[in-house]
Amino acid sequence: MALPNVLRLVYRNILVNTDPGSLIILIGLPGLYLVFFGYGFQSVASSGGSGQTYLTYLTPGIMAFQVVMAGTVGGSMLWADRRWGMLSQLLMGPFTRLEYLFGIMLTSVLFGLGGSAVMLAVAYALIGAVPTQIVALVIIFGSITVGSVFFGGFMLYLAALVKSNTAYNSIQILLIFVVNFASTVFYPLSGRLPVVLRVLFIVNPLTYVSDAVRGAYTNSLTPTDVYHMLVLFVEMVVILFLATRAYMRSDVSYE
Amino acid sequence: MFAENLRHSYDRRRFALDGVSFTVQRGEVFGLLGRNGAGKSTLIKAMTTLIRPTSGTLRVLGLDPAHEGQKIRERIGVVQQGESFDFTTVQRNLDLYGMLWGIPKAERIRRREQLLEHYGIADIRKRRAFDISGGQKRRVQVAREFMHDMDILFLDEPTVGLDVIMRRTLLDSVREEVRRGLTVVFTTHNLEEADYLCDRAAVIDEGRILVLDSIANLKRLYGGKKTIDITIGNGEADGFFSTLRERLGAQTTVTVSGRSAVILTDDPKEALSKIAEVSQSRGAQLEWLNVRQNTLEDVFLRSVGHGGGNNHNGAA
Repeated sequence: MALPNVLRLVYRNILVNTDPGSLIILIGLPGLYLVFFGYGFQSVASSGGSGQTYLTYLTPGIMAFQVVMAGTVGGSMLWADRRWGMLSQLLMGPFTRLEYLFGIMLTSVLFGLGGSAVMLAVAYALIGAVPTQIVALVIIFGSITVGSVFFGGFMLYLAALVKSNTAYNSIQILLIFVVNFASTVFYPLSGRLPVVLRVLFIVNPLTYVSDAVRGAYTNSLTPTDVYHMLVLFVEMVVILFLATRAYMRSDVSYE
Repeated sequence: MFAENLRHSYDRRRFALDGVSFTVQRGEVFGLLGRNGAGKSTLIKAMTTLIRPTSGTLRVLGLDPAHEGQKIRERIGVVQQGESFDFTTVQRNLDLYGMLWGIPKAERIRRREQLLEHYGIADIRKRRAFDISGGQKRRVQVAREFMHDMDILFLDEPTVGLDVIMRRTLLDSVREEVRRGLTVVFTTHNLEEADYLCDRAAVIDEGRILVLDSIANLKRLYGGKKTIDITIGNGEADGFFSTLRERLGAQTTVTVSGRSAVILTDDPKEALSKIAEVSQSRGAQLEWLNVRQNTLEDVFLRSVGHGGGNNHNGAA
């Protein structure tokens, strides 16, 4: 039986994006963060009285960080397809624009889930324990899914708007840096941070993904985390709408 | 396929398509001839549902691209003018494309192997598509399109960068598919190719169809005439060709370019005699003189305004 169009596109997206170079960026880089930062800062980082090691604090953050990496995959796929003529080729094929878009979003989610699962395995190797309760895993991977769609949508929006490859790459690198480090991925939001940084932490969706994943991972989920995830879900719907609109209006012509 | 008064503007100021009308019959090879920027690719994009025309009526396979785009796209194939590849090997590009079109695996492998051989790309199957030469890329692109079945094939300048042998191989493959019922819309500025492949052709310039007729009729339109190519080696060219034009009369077209001219005439003997007279009277030495049958190129040049602007619009 033939696969639905969206799944065929997802299969294709995965195959063309799983070359060794892409995998190193997608999984190797967060894995290296986990190993180097986890052990490197262990000796200087305080556990904040929770009794956790820094590695335990960092692991769910790095899992959450996968949603940003997944988002960049989504944006890069649209950009590469446009740059190398495949966008117009596919859209002159048996697919609708929306199917193509959903194909990219679903691929982003799969990369986000796959990457965080790999990080979970790495964490198990390093720490020797990972959450096994069904509820915790559902919350972790649910948050990763919502985060992947959010950042996938955001990067697609960017890719649809920006016309130059150099500009897109520069913005992407800057965004990854800011989103990553102005969040609770690497360290908690504390009153000692400058106000600007605190604001960035609060408006950064990655903070909420990271908090939800960490809460489920360390069995310390609060109602606020759940509320934040609901807000993020709404933001995800909005960004998806904006990304779809920008993409549907973007020029897919070839020359 | 049917288009009536089709117009399209990218910027709301200039029309890339400006009132284009034509029909294409099932099983026909329809050529779109024109210079770069004439509007050929825009027309292909409209027919393949990539852009929505600003106004006019368009039907492809009897379907309206504005509302039934996907149904159309499921039944067409397109070889784009530019490169379009996945960042992977040649073989995987063909495989993936077949998969995207829902071709079952066994059939996909069978077609892939046949196409790799037929287009002479079997030996580069493991190389990344972006690392191969321009001609090889074109072959891969064309081969890839035949991974799936279709009713209409759009070929947007498919032979650019191909050597003579591969060009002929490609055109012959298309001919073979046409014999099996495929309809082809083929854009080119290589007139020999159009002559070889097309049943009918439209000459398009500045978004308008200038001439549309069967290849045979287009040639017949100018068929009673012959073309004389002439180049003078010394003397004042402008004066020479001006005098010659006067002597040949209004029925003969003289298109001058520097020290050369192309003369289109019903009576080559008479024209040659006049050329000899003018040459003698003005002391001009003839460096090159050649009498030949009209080609499609002459039709093209005349249509786009390089040879008297004899417009003949046979649009349906």
